Amino acid sequence: MMEEEHNQLSEVSKDAYLRAENLVTKFFTSKGIVKALDGVSLTVNKGEIFGLVGESGCGKSVTATSIMDLIPDPPGRIVSGSIFIDNYNILNDLPKLATINVKSETDVIVKRNKKLIKRHNFVISKIRGKKVAMIFQEPALALNPVLSIGQQISENILLHNRVEISNSIIRRESLSESDIEEFYKKIKAINDDFRPFVNKWTRLYAVPEAEEEMENILKSGADESYALKELKEVVFRQKRGNNLSLIAMMRDYYKVEEFLFELTLKLMEAESINDTTAVARLARQIDDHKRAIKARFSGFLFAKKFRRRKYERVFEEEARRRGIELLTLVNIAEPGRVYDAYPHELSGGMQQRAMIAMALASNPQMLIADEPTTALDVTTQAQILDLIRDLNKVTGSSVLFITHDLAVIAEMCQRLGVMYAGNLVEEGNSSEIFKNPLHPYTTGLLSSIPRVDVKSKNEIKLESIPGSVPNLISPPPGCRFHPRCKFKMDICSEKKPKLMTVESNHKVACFIYSKESED
Amino acid sequence: MELKYYIIRRLLLLIPTLLGLVLLVFLLMRMFPDTYLIARYINPKSGIPYSVQAEQARAALGLNYPIFIQYFFYLKSLFTGNWGYMSTPIYSGPVLQGIELYFPSTLQLSILATILSVAIAIPLGTYIGARPNSLADQLGRIFSLGFYAMPIFWLALLLQILLGENVIPGNPLGLFPIAGKFSLASIPAVPPPWFNPSTGLTGPTHLPLLDAIIHGDWQLAISSLRYLFLPVVTLTLALLAGILRFIRAGMVDASNQEYVKTARSKGVPEHLVIKRHIRKNALIPTVTILGLLFASLLGGVVVIEEVFNYFGIGVLALNAVYNLAIYGVLGTTFIFGVTLMAANLIVDIAYAFIDPRIRY
Repeated sequence: MMEEEHNQLSEVSKDAYLRAENLVTKFFTSKGIVKALDGVSLTVNKGEIFGLVGESGCGKSVTATSIMDLIPDPPGRIVSGSIFIDNYNILNDLPKLATINVKSETDVIVKRNKKLIKRHNFVISKIRGKKVAMIFQEPALALNPVLSIGQQISENILLHNRVEISNSIIRRESLSESDIEEFYKKIKAINDDFRPFVNKWTRLYAVPEAEEEMENILKSGADESYALKELKEVVFRQKRGNNLSLIAMMRDYYKVEEFLFELTLKLMEAESINDTTAVARLARQIDDHKRAIKARFSGFLFAKKFRRRKYERVFEEEARRRGIELLTLVNIAEPGRVYDAYPHELSGGMQQRAMIAMALASNPQMLIADEPTTALDVTTQAQILDLIRDLNKVTGSSVLFITHDLAVIAEMCQRLGVMYAGNLVEEGNSSEIFKNPLHPYTTGLLSSIPRVDVKSKNEIKLESIPGSVPNLISPPPGCRFHPRCKFKMDICSEKKPKLMTVESNHKVACFIYSKESED
Repeated sequence: MELKYYIIRRLLLLIPTLLGLVLLVFLLMRMFPDTYLIARYINPKSGIPYSVQAEQARAALGLNYPIFIQYFFYLKSLFTGNWGYMSTPIYSGPVLQGIELYFPSTLQLSILATILSVAIAIPLGTYIGARPNSLADQLGRIFSLGFYAMPIFWLALLLQILLGENVIPGNPLGLFPIAGKFSLASIPAVPPPWFNPSTGLTGPTHLPLLDAIIHGDWQLAISSLRYLFLPVVTLTLALLAGILRFIRAGMVDASNQEYVKTARSKGVPEHLVIKRHIRKNALIPTVTILGLLFASLLGGVVVIEEVFNYFGIGVLALNAVYNLAIYGVLGTTFIFGVTLMAANLIVDIAYAFIDPRIRY
């Protein structure tokens, strides 16, 4: 039976985009060590919406910030664990970053290796935003008040998508008549709606402004030669006449930079498994590339420093176009105006949409939404939830959705995890958990929701879980829920239950279902 | 577009402010007994009885009219350049001319000190504010708190002792003259036409450094630069300490804001997080208090001019007070007020540039 479970696990992890394992995060405060996360493991598969639910203070947000490696240090640190994003462990150098010497609860000395932390942050900053993006709770606070929406969206694009941008500019500028003829042939071959193809094509060649006109021409049913002539005119009007050799050079530079980053990732991976030969080889390779960059691009880099505008304008124009497109994608009316507006000029719902557009800007495959609707009014909430669900379908990115609102979870998520006091206590398909909650805490949570459909007189009284979330400086020993648990047993206060699969796709950490404990 | 309208509105707002300032100065003047106001126009040796002379002076100054009509007389003479006369040991003559002679020196000191301290405080404050509680931060805090708390005249005296020429015999740091604007030795025996030996001032700007450069006299330029060093350093240190404290506090406050977390979550590299996201926000409170600091700087300039014997409008104002030259006091007060208004205007416009929320 154990064998089967393992198979199941590995089956799941194959299409896992995010996998956090045994995440332990602590905050070293003057009042004591806050054990905020106590070995949290969770998996978010490609394309799914995973809900994380729990009372306030149970560690949902800390989980999200730990996954982004955004725990403020000091006072907090991820102490151990691994986070695989797209099969790369972003915490593979964690043990080397700092040594934590715990003398007593209130006296902890953290020795940081500044050089390695700097490299770690550099690597992380290239993964954040590009592979995983985050949406925050209060858009009014999470948007920078002194930068326009556009500046904040394009910042993201300019940081992560330079190669892509230069490629699409080059494609646009080198569009030829035969390209359009080929496009026309392909359109003719499509029997049903051709709009998705036009949409894709215009994006690929960076001429989205021409999309509408192109569609109109195609819809008008004009004969081939006339339609072709019109199409060419419309498309070629979009050309900006950029200096292609310059853009190609910039693209090469950013490509080499990206390659260098990949090498750094490999180097760090090799370092984490103590593969000395690989480390030496990669280090040499990196040095060679750095030297090559210096030799090949020094003139460009020097000129870029002094004539920033000349080199940046192309990218900024393209980023603006993409930013406006993103704002349209998140259903903002007048995207052009909003792009130049400042956060304080927008309503809360608009701000959250802009925030989502910002998170989507560099096409991340995963979105972490940390209570994205808590600060919004109910109608706006529904719109934002719909938007996130639609985007999940359209872009195919995974979503880690954090909320304390069970109704929202039920509506949004395929799978969900229940957190209590820094532990994941139950995980599984959301319909399964709502139908058949196993952990006493989940049962308690579900029975504390007011329900319209239950009208029996005895059941009108709402149940609540006695007590409150424990102080995480001195959490209860064993299972952290046992002081509030109706089914408390002796073992509960002695050992910590392990998260075990009880049914297919349904795991729970409770001694009622399995006597197995962690170590 | 909105910024343009904001600036226009802010400029129009200057008019009522200016009228208010004039009103205040006018009320200040009318609080003196009439005898003080007419004293300058009475000649006890002329043989004409005091009461007759007094009556003539009252008529000439318009003191017999109702007070609100006098206000308009005052306005008229203010805008026609008739600011009255003053007579003090260092300057006797029309008040406006005195201001024209001495105000540039004051302006030079304050502007140099402001520019220098802002230019030092912004990068320094960014550096230490981004590393709270580090060694650099602790040193920066000790420095800024120390100089912020120190009375400016005392700081001036300390610097004179430490860096003053011939203050401590054999002091290798004693490189800078402690009093005056330039060395008279650097003026040739037959002075050039742009030097006025009776007032000791140069033309046309009355700033020795600038005039010497205009006329190509490099020896005088270097001499006056050395004389300028100590007063400017004193003022800069005092102002720098204040600005530094606010930038640091602003940086620490801004780096705890949610939008910084957002920026990091987007993958913005740390140096850009500091430059683009934290510092821009930290400058908002800093610019706000810059106007206030500039006001205190003007007060400091008066003291500094006195300590370093650097004749400017501060010395002129003090002399006017000592000698009961009322029109001198009023004129310099008005000029101080106008300077402050101009500084606040610049601060407000800078504020609008930094913070889009106030361009309503």
